[in-house]
Amino acid sequence: MADHSTTDDTRYVGQAVRTIEGRAPIVGAARYTNDFVFPGQLYAHIVRSPHAAARIRRIDSSGALKVSGVVRVLDGAEAAAHLKPITHYIDPAVFGGKSAEVRVMAVDDVWCYGQPVAVVVAEDKRTARFAAQRIQIVYDVLEPVLDAEAATAPDAHIVVPGWDSNIMMQAPFRNGDPDAAFAKAAHVVKTSVDIHRFSTQPIETRCYNAVWEHDIEGVTLYATAQNPHPLRHVLSEVLGMPESKIRVHAPVIGGAFGMKMHGHPEEALMCLLAKLTGRPVKWTETREECLLIGAREQRHHMELALDADGVILGLRDRYFANVGAPSACPGWGMAFLTGLTMPGPYAVRDIDVQMTVVITNKPSWNAARGYGKESTALALELAIEDAARQLGMDAAEIRLKNFIRAEQFPYNSPTGLIYDSGDYSGAVLKAMHAIGYEGWKARQAEGPKDGKYIGIGVAFELTPEGGALPGTMVAGYDSSSVRVAPDGSVRILTGVTTPGTGNPTGIAQIVADELGVTMDAIEVTQGDTTTCPYGFGNYSGRSTIVGGGSAALAAQQVRAKVVTVAAALFDVPEADVELHRGVFSVKGQQGRTLTFKEVCYAAYTGAYSVAHGITLPLEATATFKPSNIRHTPDENGRINPYPSYSNAAYVTVCEVDVETGKTKVLAFAAAHDCGRVINPVLVEGQACGAISFGVGGAMFEAIAFDSSGRQLTRSFMDYVMPRSEDLPAVKMVHHDSPNPVTYMGLKGAGEAGVGGSAAAVVNAINNALIPLGVSLNTLPLSAPNVWGAIQAARKRGQREAAE
Amino acid sequence: MSLYPSFARPNSLAQASELLAGLSGGSVIIAGGQEIMPYINHGAMQPDIYIDIGGLKELRGISEADGVVSIGALTVHRELQGNAIVAEKLPMLADAASRAGGGRQVHNRATLGGNLVAMHPLYDIAPALLALGAEVELVKAGETRRTSLAALMHETSHGLGSEAILVRVLVPAMAAGTGWAYEKLKLSGGAYGSANAAATVQLDAGRITAATLMIGAVADRIIDAAAAVQGLIGQAWTAAAAEQLELRCPALVKQPLSDQQGSGEWRQAMAGVVARRAMAAAVARAGQK
Repeated sequence: MADHSTTDDTRYVGQAVRTIEGRAPIVGAARYTNDFVFPGQLYAHIVRSPHAAARIRRIDSSGALKVSGVVRVLDGAEAAAHLKPITHYIDPAVFGGKSAEVRVMAVDDVWCYGQPVAVVVAEDKRTARFAAQRIQIVYDVLEPVLDAEAATAPDAHIVVPGWDSNIMMQAPFRNGDPDAAFAKAAHVVKTSVDIHRFSTQPIETRCYNAVWEHDIEGVTLYATAQNPHPLRHVLSEVLGMPESKIRVHAPVIGGAFGMKMHGHPEEALMCLLAKLTGRPVKWTETREECLLIGAREQRHHMELALDADGVILGLRDRYFANVGAPSACPGWGMAFLTGLTMPGPYAVRDIDVQMTVVITNKPSWNAARGYGKESTALALELAIEDAARQLGMDAAEIRLKNFIRAEQFPYNSPTGLIYDSGDYSGAVLKAMHAIGYEGWKARQAEGPKDGKYIGIGVAFELTPEGGALPGTMVAGYDSSSVRVAPDGSVRILTGVTTPGTGNPTGIAQIVADELGVTMDAIEVTQGDTTTCPYGFGNYSGRSTIVGGGSAALAAQQVRAKVVTVAAALFDVPEADVELHRGVFSVKGQQGRTLTFKEVCYAAYTGAYSVAHGITLPLEATATFKPSNIRHTPDENGRINPYPSYSNAAYVTVCEVDVETGKTKVLAFAAAHDCGRVINPVLVEGQACGAISFGVGGAMFEAIAFDSSGRQLTRSFMDYVMPRSEDLPAVKMVHHDSPNPVTYMGLKGAGEAGVGGSAAAVVNAINNALIPLGVSLNTLPLSAPNVWGAIQAARKRGQREAAE
Repeated sequence: MSLYPSFARPNSLAQASELLAGLSGGSVIIAGGQEIMPYINHGAMQPDIYIDIGGLKELRGISEADGVVSIGALTVHRELQGNAIVAEKLPMLADAASRAGGGRQVHNRATLGGNLVAMHPLYDIAPALLALGAEVELVKAGETRRTSLAALMHETSHGLGSEAILVRVLVPAMAAGTGWAYEKLKLSGGAYGSANAAATVQLDAGRITAATLMIGAVADRIIDAAAAVQGLIGQAWTAAAAEQLELRCPALVKQPLSDQQGSGEWRQAMAGVVARRAMAAAVARAGQK
């Protein structure tokens, strides 16, 4: 961890302030969605398809209805009679793709293993599960398509009836003259990168509890939701009910990582069941169900054109994203962002990238931390490593040669993005220094010891954050309210939400400084559509940029009001009034002070005297809208959907045991640029979390299927995330380039690092295995896979020696 | 399968045995719950009757008499790790118990009996006990019987878990100077084992006079690698001997497991690697106090 000593202790911003929401979750006092139980509470159990592709011939629910305690059973056809298709979070049709009609439960056709087919509502959970086993469903089982490239074959099973192919969307990301670049290249390096299906697994699984509000004929949904307001909009469309009758309340969330962005069938389904029964209906996801939500399964066929000195002249990529069955969740958009973020931090202009998003009979994706940008980093960084190897160059040197230089910002990328700021070379050099690059190189040169080979991996990740997609509820702006009570206590209400990252603390630090109060005067309210200003919630590392930015603007307005009142009380010009940490004073007049509370009470009670000049109450709502997002297409039809471009360099040292293929991470360093740091502990917590995501994904987290499309990974026995013993302490250095357009120079800090850290690990393992002739770009690099690659290389070597 | 299962908590082994004898199917014996609760929570197991044997004093305690350590089936992993008798007389068992999956909360509840009754090929305790020649005492329908753990693991009608109760595990104390090692290979810190090996060895003047070797987690049963070890007897532990052992062990794995702990091909090869490593470590430890 970095040194947290700060030079400016008159401000909270920049300090490692303890989280204001930290105590309750630690002592077990936090109230998560599942902790809410209402009078008359009912419980739902969902029956899911055991087949990947099937036609439903018959559903017989009579056995379930005979079980005492069962209140209601519903199948897909009946639900479809009550509900419209789920509104897409990001409709592929808006971007030129095909838009499937997604129902809450399968109607006639099953698209994937685990798809909801029927639901049982009962007085308790056990009864619901028990009765669910008594629903008889007859399926005609079909041959599924499971591989993305195979699904594009002309004779492949078509997942969505009526579609002409399984290709949901194809899009080029093209600039310059890539063919000419390849024609003049001294070297062309071809690399296929196979990223496997791995997901995010919050410890709190999803939960929805819908309460029917008889007085208004409306519904309140307690939900593990990252985006309460946009979810309310979707519910209003699916239920056919005005938004004013719907309340979405998202209590404390125990991790989200994108998975709790909406479009899930269970959201509207619980609301419908509450409406039909007139009682609260709750569904809590099991771990097995949580593991059904996929992400990232993507195959890249990369080509780099390089000149004799290792300068990249051009880039080609044909990539296929296996997004599984159609879903209303925003998962598929990850694939789009992968292409949009090409060619990442590199100054190459001539690019030819072709995205193909393919529907298959695997369970659907949802958003996952990195949102496709981790795949860009993996594809690029593995290809560049191959290039360095083929050209005999140092892995760091080839990157330093090709980075966009610090003086080139703001930089217009070949896909239309406008990178705000950065110093990529500086970050790599800092991370190399932090890990002791030369020392490890020297140790590596000594050769393997006891069959353990050491490798050093370098990788970089550019992470556009704070995104705004036109025509969708992925918005770039957000709003906050700051309310000061007569006792001087402060409540901040934000349109952004927290998935447990600590952004309320960061936002409170900002408001404490801007308003001039102490941290302990502040409470933060988030996640309730009835009390909070309209907002878009949490995604894309946005909550501190736009939540903090808007809260700062609101705090400034409230500060102006209280300063006016204080000036009247002191009987001095406003310019002479100072306010710091809850104490008003008068410039140049020692001893004349008023407390924040005294002034606030005077304001509320002095509307016709000291507060005559201000608008009461002491409240303000403001919006922060980053100015550099551009949705008006340029002459090439390109937009810039991101205000901030976080970036980071990762360097790791791995040791490979060639007898077993098992890898150990010996050292890890990161140099991270998230713009101005509000709270270094929160930033480092997020950065280290992303690193463990990346390491786990690179080395062992995987969701596996059998040949019939049944998911084999059903519990934490098989989906194993890293433990503390799997990671060394991360050496984290900040390398911040403030963003010129956001409040105080903020960039997103929550999302970055999954791909960069995964790529660093893959590169380190391959670097270690150079003496054995191994290059493995099929993830995960688990012990069996690494061992298999070593065996294959040995056999190849023996064959070549024999010839 | 019942929506409203019954729960019984007998006060003595006799009472428990009598109760079990009077029941037809659908009952499950529960103690620490670390094995069966996940299955129950998951819905994969839906017993009609739970018999909680956690209160049976006869199943508790660790003692030594006549060179045999007697360990009650309710002994939890944490006790195995820290008990003075186990540490002195059965250090390999203490080590294997500490290598079992799960954190301290699990180790504080998971019992020796539950671990063995699960007969799970990936677990850590059985290979160590088999390498030490352990016996078990079980009670079924009022009758007490003693058998070797090795024989028990090949029985199909022992009734453990629903009809029979595992009472105690009886392990010959390791002779002074015995070399031992428990080697475990897993994909990551939180993963189940992919291959493991428990080895003991006796040396005399640098030559191996006796050795046992069990290989677990690579097949649906724990493999007794006696056939592979045979060739070591009378030999010194040399590089050639190690290579021989590593080559022989995979041949004993007829049908390797192939799952998310690793492919069959790899598991089979790893059987040789963990066997060789365990034996090498056991030899290095032999003769040391």
